[in-house]
Amino acid sequence: MFFFRIFMMALRSLWIHPLRSVLATLGVIIGVGAVVAAMAILEGMSAKIASGFESMGSKKLFVSPNVQRRNNRLVGNFDSLKLADADAIRKSCDMVGKVMPQIVNSVTIKFLSKNTTASLLGATEAYQELNSHYVSEGDFLTRANVQGRASVVVLGAKVKQELFGGRPALDERIKISGLGTLGARTFTVVGIMEAKGNVAFTDVDRQIIIPVTTAMDRLYGLDSVQMIVAEATSPADADVEAAKTEIKRLLRQRHKIRAGQQDDFQVQAQKEFVKQFGQLTKILAIVLGSIAGISLAVGGIGIMNIMLVAVTERTREIGVRMAMGAQRSDVMNQFLIEASIVSFLGGSLGVLAGWGLAKTIEVMTRLLETVTTGWSIAMALAMATVVGVISGIYPAWKASRLDPVEALRYE
Amino acid sequence: MGTTVVRALDGVNLKVKEGELVSVTGQSGSGKSTLMHLLGCLDRPTHGEYWLDGELVSSMSDRQLAITRNQKIGFVFQTFNLIQRTSAMDNVAVPLFYARRLGVRQASLRALERVGLANRATHKPNELSGGERQRVAIARAIVNEPKIIFADEPTGNLDSKTGTQIMEIFHELHRSGVTVILVTHETDVALQAERIIRMRDGHIVDDRLVDEAFRRDMASRVRPQLPERSPPPLARPAEVYICSFFAFS
Repeated sequence: MFFFRIFMMALRSLWIHPLRSVLATLGVIIGVGAVVAAMAILEGMSAKIASGFESMGSKKLFVSPNVQRRNNRLVGNFDSLKLADADAIRKSCDMVGKVMPQIVNSVTIKFLSKNTTASLLGATEAYQELNSHYVSEGDFLTRANVQGRASVVVLGAKVKQELFGGRPALDERIKISGLGTLGARTFTVVGIMEAKGNVAFTDVDRQIIIPVTTAMDRLYGLDSVQMIVAEATSPADADVEAAKTEIKRLLRQRHKIRAGQQDDFQVQAQKEFVKQFGQLTKILAIVLGSIAGISLAVGGIGIMNIMLVAVTERTREIGVRMAMGAQRSDVMNQFLIEASIVSFLGGSLGVLAGWGLAKTIEVMTRLLETVTTGWSIAMALAMATVVGVISGIYPAWKASRLDPVEALRYE
Repeated sequence: MGTTVVRALDGVNLKVKEGELVSVTGQSGSGKSTLMHLLGCLDRPTHGEYWLDGELVSSMSDRQLAITRNQKIGFVFQTFNLIQRTSAMDNVAVPLFYARRLGVRQASLRALERVGLANRATHKPNELSGGERQRVAIARAIVNEPKIIFADEPTGNLDSKTGTQIMEIFHELHRSGVTVILVTHETDVALQAERIIRMRDGHIVDDRLVDEAFRRDMASRVRPQLPERSPPPLARPAEVYICSFFAFS
């Protein structure tokens, strides 16, 4: 009851000085807002990326040239993976099921007078089952298409819509050109893919698929592939690892790499991406957390500053209260509670501000959906209150140590 | 280099009877404020003893002093010292609050009634006249039913008519049995007490009971000057006293 009354009294004296109270809380509002917004964005990013990895399929292995970033330059052999490597993996690796060499690039496509951009995927007939993504109209690329370097294309749902609208697209001819191509090439539409949305961070509905051989020979003039996607026979960790070892051994042998020499390729399992990503999120959380922590500390200094001013300004009031029988602990509690209320209210406003900021970023960038969790709100509020109490201790102690006679004399 | 020790009070020996109305007068610097702070349990003497209502105040802890102030003492100040932007009733309730008492509303309202301000309970200090503010302050001083009230120049900031009204309240309180100690440098205010203590340079230079003859004598002078006698005799035998104070250097 007494505590409640002290609480009400603190609330009232804050209400009497609204501007000062708001100024005191500003630092905490910004600090907590930053925490909440950062957590919401991080959480949203994690969710999005996690679902991206999920959609890759847990059995997958990605073989790519061993290219590394050194001094801001990419170093390594970009052309180390050949089509024959993919065939060899399929034929001699027992632990590997489906194998698909691929090339990805972005291109411009043209039908009559209509233009659009899309991402081009050079793939094989294995694509459909590897990605659980199937044609809804016409046929997918066949083995014969791939072997014969056929000029055929399967369109993603959105691409079809943009170029043809409601009209039939099958058997129409489109022109594909783009950066790095040998020139515009004409392709015949043989199929339309079902709409699926994002798979592994790519909007597959904005993708067109042609035989990887055609992409290499006719479109780009390449003799290597960008990546070989392989699928282990089972998603069990041991089996994925075994498949990986098999592929490594085979490719080292094929690429004539001696013992002790570095690979000119790398094999990564989907699971490793998830692990690496988890580390990245951890680092991001630490960085964002430190920034938020610093702004909260600054907020705490703001509260302390304003509370010190309040104590000085109210010296006489403190003297009067002491004359009326306030004990030192009563004065201390009064100011401590004021500081905690200020910071708690600041924290609450900060939660709203942070949530608003996260939502604004979400709406403006349309990159990701932010997730404000109850846990992050609770943590931010708790942190704010702790900051308030800590920064209120010194001013409150100072107030409680005032000499009643001196305080009453204070002008 | 050196520090000068200022003895605000030196060798003061004083007994006050329960229910007395006493004036303490003297020029500024005479030590009357220090005396009031000591008697009001706001401070402790560096030497000597102070007994209040059977308790040795001079050796109390800060906490005990606060409790004593809360339960036994009421203060009225020259500048009212109300808490701004807080209603009259909430101001009056402050001592009750620190006494952790319940039923704050009724008690505060009763105190305001006693000073005739019940109709102003929800007004804030800046909405009240000087006299009304001082009456709120008196209500605050009496709300905990203290044994003794200290009034430091209670009419100093008021015009004479309002001052008279305020003094009437003190007489009223005195009649109801409360001990009142008035610190004032106004002779006509001081003369309203039963007993006048006159201070100079930290000493009591006069301590006398006031009778009608003395009042008339003072009133007849153009510039009334209270007489001084030294050393001060105790004009009254100490019988049942609630307050006795010694400060030796």
